[in-house]
Amino acid sequence: MPATPVYIICSPRPQVGRTLIARLLCEFLLLKNGNVAAFDLNLKEPSLLEYLPHVTETADVMDTYGKMQLMDRVIVDDGLGKVIDLGFHAFDEFFRMSEEIGFMKEARRRNVAPMVLFVADNDRVSMRGHEMLRHQIPPANFITVDNEYVVRGELSEALTQGHTLRLSALPLFLKTYIDRLTFSFTGYLRQEKDSSTELHQWIRRNYFAFREIEMSLILQRS
Amino acid sequence: MAKPVVIVVGADKGGVGKTTVSRTLLDYFSANNVPTRAFDTESPRGTLKRFHPEITEIVDMTTTPDQMKIFDTLNAVSPSVTVIDVRAGLMSPSLVALRDIGFLDAAKSGQITFAVFHILGSSIASLDEIAETANFMTGAKYFLVKNFINNTSFFEWDQSTYNSYFHRIKDATDLTIPKLNEMAFEQVEVASVPFLKFVANKGIHDDPANYSFVLRGYVRHWLANVWSEFDRIKLTDLVGGGKSVLRGGEK
Repeated sequence: MPATPVYIICSPRPQVGRTLIARLLCEFLLLKNGNVAAFDLNLKEPSLLEYLPHVTETADVMDTYGKMQLMDRVIVDDGLGKVIDLGFHAFDEFFRMSEEIGFMKEARRRNVAPMVLFVADNDRVSMRGHEMLRHQIPPANFITVDNEYVVRGELSEALTQGHTLRLSALPLFLKTYIDRLTFSFTGYLRQEKDSSTELHQWIRRNYFAFREIEMSLILQRS
Repeated sequence: MAKPVVIVVGADKGGVGKTTVSRTLLDYFSANNVPTRAFDTESPRGTLKRFHPEITEIVDMTTTPDQMKIFDTLNAVSPSVTVIDVRAGLMSPSLVALRDIGFLDAAKSGQITFAVFHILGSSIASLDEIAETANFMTGAKYFLVKNFINNTSFFEWDQSTYNSYFHRIKDATDLTIPKLNEMAFEQVEVASVPFLKFVANKGIHDDPANYSFVLRGYVRHWLANVWSEFDRIKLTDLVGGGKSVLRGGEK
């Protein structure tokens, strides 16, 4: 039986496109599996909860009760894909806690497959966060997201070691378009008949990348 | 045949975590496959017995029949280690009783291995306890335990004052028990199981339990830190093991 995937979209920096990736991933899993459970750990940024209220709940890792509420759910092998949108303010605490409670080890034991998607920036905080995660997360469960909109194609070499997922930048008018709370990526694919549009291709390219990540998780298990 | 080992865990002050330390010791020996029995002097209702009912007996150390129950059986029973959780206020009287029955002499002459885990509180009274206890420690292994589990701050004392007391006892060893997450500690209390069983997600009769993964993780991490302290002081050498064994919790 395939492992239950848990995607952790994270960055120690604000405004790097983390929630956008979490939205894309949630919609991809909804399209593919018909369900997903998303956890929003944002206090100060645009929230996944506002975009996908039906599948998202808020979570917190600042106290033990919040940690239990979140981690006791994501460690369950129930076949339901999970997406955690980990706000920058919770980055350190989340990974400190997951290291302390042995999350990666227990996940492996329980047929749960965590995949950490680190949304990179070129500043020192990102470098330090990336370095910390590279020591904590096995390479097969760690992907650096190169968001062209943030790093402008100049992702630092230190961040490109290991698996990388490239998210190409959209023109500003399309960026504004997809940032609307009512916008749905899958809805757009269904409604827009012209598959040659830039947005159509952008969404399909990203869905394809997520499918490849899923494949890598299946291959890891086999 | 291995020498019997008696470990007394005590303090004259209450609420410093004596029973918690006793519990970690019992878990440690259990994980290292060292047969152990325990005596709980919190008569008539022992906390230690609640967590380790199968190996714990409640005794009143000030009575002769119970002293006989503990010390006359040291060579007769199979467990090589006896842990005695001495209730608050009974530490000094217990040591006096041990001296009077000739137990301390037996330890001095090497017939018995005797160790004392003295759990320190934060007050200056604990330093006086050290001075008082020191008089009985010839021939014993003396461990001074700073227990942070209940968030004690040990810097209420002047460190040099502490050192002056500490160095009065030859070969005394300092030991630190780190703090455990409060909610995790509470949950283990509620579950009334040894720390090891909590980590393994098991009930008191090894039945499957449903403890929080997060809290189990905190307990496992904390217990590993406590055990690394026990490893540091070579506790298994004390009981004649000294071998590197695969622990139950590490399987």
